[in-house]
Amino acid sequence: MADLSETGRDTADPTEDDSPPTGPRRLLISLYAIFALAATARGIVQIATKFDEAPVAYALSLFSGVVYICATIGLLTNRRWSRPLAWAAVGTEMVGVVTIGIASIIDADVFPHDTVWSRFGAGYGYVPVILPVLGLMWLWQTRGTTEQHPTAR
Amino acid sequence: MIQGLAIGVLAAGLLLGAWTGIHAYRRRPTTDAQMVGAIVLEAALLVQTAIAIGKLVGGAELDESVTFVAYSIGILLPLPLGFYLARIERTRWGSLSLCFTAVVVAVMTLRLMQLWQAGSG
Repeated sequence: MADLSETGRDTADPTEDDSPPTGPRRLLISLYAIFALAATARGIVQIATKFDEAPVAYALSLFSGVVYICATIGLLTNRRWSRPLAWAAVGTEMVGVVTIGIASIIDADVFPHDTVWSRFGAGYGYVPVILPVLGLMWLWQTRGTTEQHPTAR
Repeated sequence: MIQGLAIGVLAAGLLLGAWTGIHAYRRRPTTDAQMVGAIVLEAALLVQTAIAIGKLVGGAELDESVTFVAYSIGILLPLPLGFYLARIERTRWGSLSLCFTAVVVAVMTLRLMQLWQAGSG
């Protein structure tokens, strides 16, 4: 409603001890959480029902799911290891989506079955290739904020 | 699955996505009406999942029933997340979070419809 418009993030619950800025991070959390769910569930279903058909692709589905889970945890938490975890997970994701994206186009035999990262995530509206870029941008822009806010560890 | 309900859910997801997307673009947090919309959509999803699983138990045949059930249950999860984030994040980013999750619901509904038609067609 009108009284809610244009309110800044200073109106957020003061008990939240997130390191600023919280907004983009929360969006990233929603993006990563959804993909963690999608990739992990997909990997589990594929491995449980038809692992023999394409073990590499299905193992990769599950691996990408775990990477998304790690990224989500890294973004969600505010511990000393949170940012390194987020960096590692988002970095792995970046490398993964590019490598698998190229590999799935060059050598379709290895990846006859789609994974989240195949063809740069085309099956998921290319979000998988955009996501790590956004994640790395956010991590880069907010680097050092933990040093300025020692309580945020 | 009921075709009409699925199409309604699909349209509602896209509509909520567009609506909250415009709010995000205008740097506004979500409104109460949008939050109610998200709750209504989630209720519709619950009904749809219950009907779909009921039909499966009742003997409907699907090629990929495991995937279908996973999607049916998984589709219930994005909106509560988007709703929660939109509540604690009273900025455009909250709107964008709800926008994204609403669009995900629409896409997942489309996938559910495909899986259902592939199995029963």
